[in-house]
Amino acid sequence: MSATLWVAVLACAFGTLLMRVVPFLWMQRRLNSESGLNDLPQWLGILGPLMIAAVLGVSLMPVHPSPASWLATLLGLVATLLVWRRTRSLGLPVAAGVATFGAVVVGGQWLFG
Amino acid sequence: MTSSGSDSAAPHRHRHSGVLRGVREAIPLLGGYLPVSISFGLIAIQSGFTTWEAVAISAFIYAGASQFLFVGMITAGAPLWLVVAMTLLINVRHVVYGPNLAGLLPRSRHWPWLMHGLTDQVFALALTRLPQLEARTRFSWFIGATLLAWAAWILGTAIGATAGEAVTRRWPLLGEIMPFALPALFFAMVVPRFTDRRWAFALSCTMAVALLLTLGGLSNVAIPLAAACGALCFYSVKLTYRRGGS
Repeated sequence: MSATLWVAVLACAFGTLLMRVVPFLWMQRRLNSESGLNDLPQWLGILGPLMIAAVLGVSLMPVHPSPASWLATLLGLVATLLVWRRTRSLGLPVAAGVATFGAVVVGGQWLFG
Repeated sequence: MTSSGSDSAAPHRHRHSGVLRGVREAIPLLGGYLPVSISFGLIAIQSGFTTWEAVAISAFIYAGASQFLFVGMITAGAPLWLVVAMTLLINVRHVVYGPNLAGLLPRSRHWPWLMHGLTDQVFALALTRLPQLEARTRFSWFIGATLLAWAAWILGTAIGATAGEAVTRRWPLLGEIMPFALPALFFAMVVPRFTDRRWAFALSCTMAVALLLTLGGLSNVAIPLAAACGALCFYSVKLTYRRGGS
């Protein structure tokens, strides 16, 4: 990699780091300061959960989209939901979802080649 | 003596257990991180980068989609200023992550380097878990979760760059099944937020728009656009309620 390419890598890295750290520090200084905010602005509090929902929507796309992989996605989410309702935790629902998704994908390949 | 010794050891114990808890709770992220970072390592090598260069890109930039774009545009011969501009443009969504976590984390001089670990997935996990943790363990939890995710991303890139083809040939289903850990994890995070019809509408709209944009090949802009649509839905329901009520 040439020197100019390294500069490009470092510029991307530094720019991305600034986008992560500067708004965080800015808000942390503003919160509970005498001249600043006492609480997170409402729109930001709403945007947080919506960003998670958006990341979920993007990640729902299977690696190899097909009717079988979409069915596996649906059943995997149902399994995740059922186990989450019982445990109200994160680890076990994820394990159940991945196991169900994997079983449907492997079963589909075994049945239909 | 014993009492004072145990008192002075208590903060260390909390820090240690907080780090371990963060590591444990970030483990589901690896299901998504490892296959994607292995793919990145493989693609970087096929695009003419060396193993160390691929690992350096993962370690320093540490932002999945933008890394693929960076390597792709370099390979296509795009001007460097455009490569940097597009990479940063894709990462602009990170701007709203930090402020959401600002009130949940203590002040520290270490944030300038620790925030390097604030990816989409770490943000989602932190926003869900931090409010449920004691204030004194949150900082160490964040360190544990971010360091595990970062290390896995770098390790996956190194594996992909050195043995990516062999891994995908030997375990072809690995890259298909393990990434489902991410939607499963995010689903378990989003479900508790379906607290009323207004939130249900906004969250469902966001997920649907993000999925549709991804299906349309616009995954790079899907997250901010879908979240903006979700916010519009959220406020439009509020306006409808007000109009109906008046």
